[in-house]
Amino acid sequence: MIRFENIGLRYGLGPEVLRDVDFHLVPGSFHFLTGPSGAGKTSLLRMLFMSLRPSRGLIHLFGQNCSDLPSSERADLRRRIGIVFQDFRLLDHLTTWENVALPLRVFGESEASYRDDVTDLLKWVGLGARMTAYPEVLSGGEKQRAAIARAVIGKPELLLADEPTGNVDPAMANRLLRLFIELNRLGTSVIIATHDFQLMDQCDAPRLVLHEGHLEIR
Amino acid sequence: MKVTWKFDNLPGRLAERVRTSPWVAVVSGLARRQAGSGTAPIVQPASVAGRALTVVIAIMTFLACLTSGAVYVVNQSANDWFADIASEVTVQVSEGQGSEFEKKVTLVSLFLAKQPGILRVNPLSAEESGKLLEPWLGGSDVLSALPVPRLIAVEIDRSSPPDLNALRESLESNFKGVTLDDHRRWQAELRTVTRSLVLGGIAVLMLVGAATVASIVSATKSAMASNREIIEVLHFVGARERFIAHEFEKHFLNIGIRAGLVGAFGATVVFLLLPLTMRLLSGRGLAAAEFRQFIGSAVLDWPGYLLFGFVVVVVATLCMLTSRFGVYRILKSYD
Repeated sequence: MIRFENIGLRYGLGPEVLRDVDFHLVPGSFHFLTGPSGAGKTSLLRMLFMSLRPSRGLIHLFGQNCSDLPSSERADLRRRIGIVFQDFRLLDHLTTWENVALPLRVFGESEASYRDDVTDLLKWVGLGARMTAYPEVLSGGEKQRAAIARAVIGKPELLLADEPTGNVDPAMANRLLRLFIELNRLGTSVIIATHDFQLMDQCDAPRLVLHEGHLEIR
Repeated sequence: MKVTWKFDNLPGRLAERVRTSPWVAVVSGLARRQAGSGTAPIVQPASVAGRALTVVIAIMTFLACLTSGAVYVVNQSANDWFADIASEVTVQVSEGQGSEFEKKVTLVSLFLAKQPGILRVNPLSAEESGKLLEPWLGGSDVLSALPVPRLIAVEIDRSSPPDLNALRESLESNFKGVTLDDHRRWQAELRTVTRSLVLGGIAVLMLVGAATVASIVSATKSAMASNREIIEVLHFVGARERFIAHEFEKHFLNIGIRAGLVGAFGATVVFLLLPLTMRLLSGRGLAAAEFRQFIGSAVLDWPGYLLFGFVVVVVATLCMLTSRFGVYRILKSYD
């Protein structure tokens, strides 16, 4: 499903921050992406999400070479990927329900067709009582769950999460991890970028470890 | 109530273009809002940058409408003025005395009235001719002692004007001391003045237009910068570039139309009140009459007001296009 071949990445004329990255992930897998701060976790996620082009090498997503795809086809591929940002990126002028429904609205589906799905998902992530609340009044954990709900509402085949537990307490971190595991059981491939070892120790999942620009799978 | 738009009778591609046009989206969006339905718009409807943009657009549209209206009025007044002058010639009877002179004036007038292409012949009396010289010679009795030539104002039919050269020759051969002045030199000078006025107005209009374009493009870019996060989120949830551009086009077209209409309405009020204001300020004297004669009544006719509509359309389109290019520029930085 995901294949990185000899990927290198440099910003401008600087040194390569990622070097000779090779890996292959199969559908339905669950991985942690880890490494020290500045190791390139977010850059790798951005390449997985096609918002950053590698300086060299090939990236294959869902069987397609991403290098020369036109923007419309890249948008179509992105629809098969859900992403959870460290800083949530919820739109402040939309309610929690509207934020979560945003991908389906963007896909051009009618509100009637997804109204119940969004409501059910919000209840499933424990935000049933906060559907009409705006992001500015949500707690960090609630925002994170709303961001996760938005990432999975389109039933993505791949879920990318960048430090999803960075802004929440350990109890909430555990709840979010269980949520990711549950999504993975339902068939979604999951990659969680984190440097929270306590979180990783709670789940027996392979780790993609970035160190000095190189990646190894442990 | 659900508002639907039917374009079934249009050819396929055209119908698609019309259906996806931001103008249709804005109008149908307004209709939907009146019908009381719809979720929150994806682009934040009211933001500080959006309000600032609204104010800038309203002010610049107001100024652009005022300038275009003023240029239009000056152009119309100059044309009317020119048309008045061009539709009249003057015949001067300069030789003769006493009753013979009066008889000669009458004969010339009768001769002129019979010529084709002449609508009206108005021989000025000795008093009227004297009054024309009063500004230079004063109102004393000296005028009666002078051989003041008599003038005959001749109104010509502009739709089928007479051959003025033939008429001049005919007059000079039939009557001694009679000349025809077709104001050609005066018209040439007048044409230069009116053209200068209109060209000056167009130059001012172009400057205001350039300032309007620069202000609106700059304000729209600022407003777009504040919406960068929305573009980013839409991009990351899989929105196509065209979808994102369309959402922003709708939003900024809406702002452009609303603010533009406010500015155009302000300019309309100014032009509606202008004749009254001019009457109040200029009074009733001779100077006021001359002033009005020079610049006209300052009344804008319906094509003039139509010009305001055109300004609003240009301003709104400018906002829409600037937002579209802004979206594509931001999206390009992600790919």
